Amino acid sequence: MLVKIKSAAVLGLEAYEIEVEVDACKRLPGQSIVGLPDAAVKESRDRVRAAIENSGFQFPPGYFTINLAPADTKKEGPLYDLPIALGMLLVSDQISNKKMNGSVVLGELSLDGSVRPVNGVLSIALSLSGSKRRILVPRENADEAALVKNIQVIPISSLKEAADYLAGKIKIGLHKVDLKALFQTDPEYGIDFVDVKGQGHVKRALEIAAAGSHNLLMVGPPGSGKTMLARRIPSILPTLSLDEALEVTKLYSVTGQLNGKGSLITARPFRSPHHTTSDIGIIGGGRIPRPGEVSLAHLGVLFLDEFPEFERNVLEVLRQPLEDGKVTISRAHSSLTYPAQFMLIAAMNPCPCGRLYDALQACTCTPLQIQRYWKKLSEPLLDRIDIQLEVPRLKPEEISAMPAGESSSGIRNRIIAARKRQMERFSGSGVFCNARMRPKQIKEFCELDREAENVLKSAIVHLKLSARAYDKVLKVSRTIADLEGEATIQAKHVAEATQYRSLDRKGG
Amino acid sequence: MGLESYQLGVKGEEAAEKYLQQQGYQILEKNFHSQQGEVDIIARDRDFIVFVEVKSYSYRSYGSPVGAVRKAKKQSLIHAAQTYLFKNKIQNTYCRFDVIAIFTKYNGQRIIEHYRDAFYVS
Repeated sequence: MLVKIKSAAVLGLEAYEIEVEVDACKRLPGQSIVGLPDAAVKESRDRVRAAIENSGFQFPPGYFTINLAPADTKKEGPLYDLPIALGMLLVSDQISNKKMNGSVVLGELSLDGSVRPVNGVLSIALSLSGSKRRILVPRENADEAALVKNIQVIPISSLKEAADYLAGKIKIGLHKVDLKALFQTDPEYGIDFVDVKGQGHVKRALEIAAAGSHNLLMVGPPGSGKTMLARRIPSILPTLSLDEALEVTKLYSVTGQLNGKGSLITARPFRSPHHTTSDIGIIGGGRIPRPGEVSLAHLGVLFLDEFPEFERNVLEVLRQPLEDGKVTISRAHSSLTYPAQFMLIAAMNPCPCGRLYDALQACTCTPLQIQRYWKKLSEPLLDRIDIQLEVPRLKPEEISAMPAGESSSGIRNRIIAARKRQMERFSGSGVFCNARMRPKQIKEFCELDREAENVLKSAIVHLKLSARAYDKVLKVSRTIADLEGEATIQAKHVAEATQYRSLDRKGG
Repeated sequence: MGLESYQLGVKGEEAAEKYLQQQGYQILEKNFHSQQGEVDIIARDRDFIVFVEVKSYSYRSYGSPVGAVRKAKKQSLIHAAQTYLFKNKIQNTYCRFDVIAIFTKYNGQRIIEHYRDAFYVS
């Protein structure tokens, strides 16, 4: 006797179909699972046995061979519990199969027979997109699966329910979600730029960075509000479009971090890994490569606090994703590519004790310590950071004042307008924002008027700007001009952009 | 193994046999030995060939008697079962491993616990 049930496996962000074959024969009792199962799949037999018995069925006698086909790819995770259990019930004729025909089944079983949520449901649903096929998913994952058009999502809460549904004893309505409703309300960040006291020039710089998707480095003493400011960046970024939201949600779905966040992530991600995070943690990896922090920050913000405290190799691995917007991780088992288009916001103290350049307190670091501290940041890495600025300590009167800044939504409207201008300008070129302009595009789009050219020339002379800094200044001035709706870059735009090269000026 | 516990074991197996017959089992073989294993009782229960391991106790011990059948004993039972099936050319028949625990009180009173399908080939 042989029964076949369709299921799916996730590799990276993509899913592929697999077939769970259950064969029963009359001999000494037992079972074996073949098809390169990992530990979680092998353990399923104990869960399946308990779940079947606790759902009012009989664990069937005989020897079971369970094959997960194709047999040459590794299967991981507990999502085959439900198809295996249903296969055993079908093969022992305890339930009839009226409605299976080609349905995809996934779910982890609890010992009491209830179905638990699994990872990667969105990827699996997307792989079936448009096929109009039926997919039986754990009830907690139903919202996630229903985001995909043209598939039939059946939410399942227990083994008994799945069995009754397949036998045609009960009807379960297709699960639907209202996509429009999910997007109607603005994502709730809970924090706003209104709360920030003082630091007007930092807010301005963050606005420019957000508008052109420039990477940004803040240097300032402890307690000056670097972290507070960085946390508010997602609240001024334009909301995610549906496609973008699906892409982000997929990443969180396969890493199992979607629980409790609703079905669709509509807010831009903000990741702030601790500085002890390893290079694998940042970039992704593992035997079967998993997405790292750069990918989890995709289309959002990667905030690295205490920037020079990160291991040097961790900082260096950031270079490639900063350039390409994606990471390809190769391991013996497979080579996978994850998206990683993030905005890097870094924060650091000016020296190990944090009091260098502070008007109130004296720095206690030796010059060697300071040199070592800054040496952690390599030239090629700083090269990729367009905006560098100092965040000074707040003045006493600023601290006691009531916060009276502009709200995030006001800033966001300007940013949306500036991004729209960039999209129109770059349409069809594969570039979406000023920060990613190529040399040819810089030449084409960063035209300066005569006055602006003079300002830039004198900046090169007086501030000793390098060729690399020159390009950065042009890109940032382009964004500033976009924010103001100007077609050409004027002197004031260039003048402001040169302000954001404070590290070049210090010769650091 | 002392004489006392040997006798307890033998009496326990007799009691188990009687119990199985009362339950409608047909006894096929007792103390079946293979090269690397043995089974206390082999019986037929409708469609099933049942291999029974009898555990005798003179007290109510803690823990489950099924847990008392450890890996080596399991291997021995499985080996004996396979040998039995092969020797008797039994194919295409459901099989089962049962454990029967017999507790004998000091006054001779017995409590019999029957664990069906106690373990399986892994």
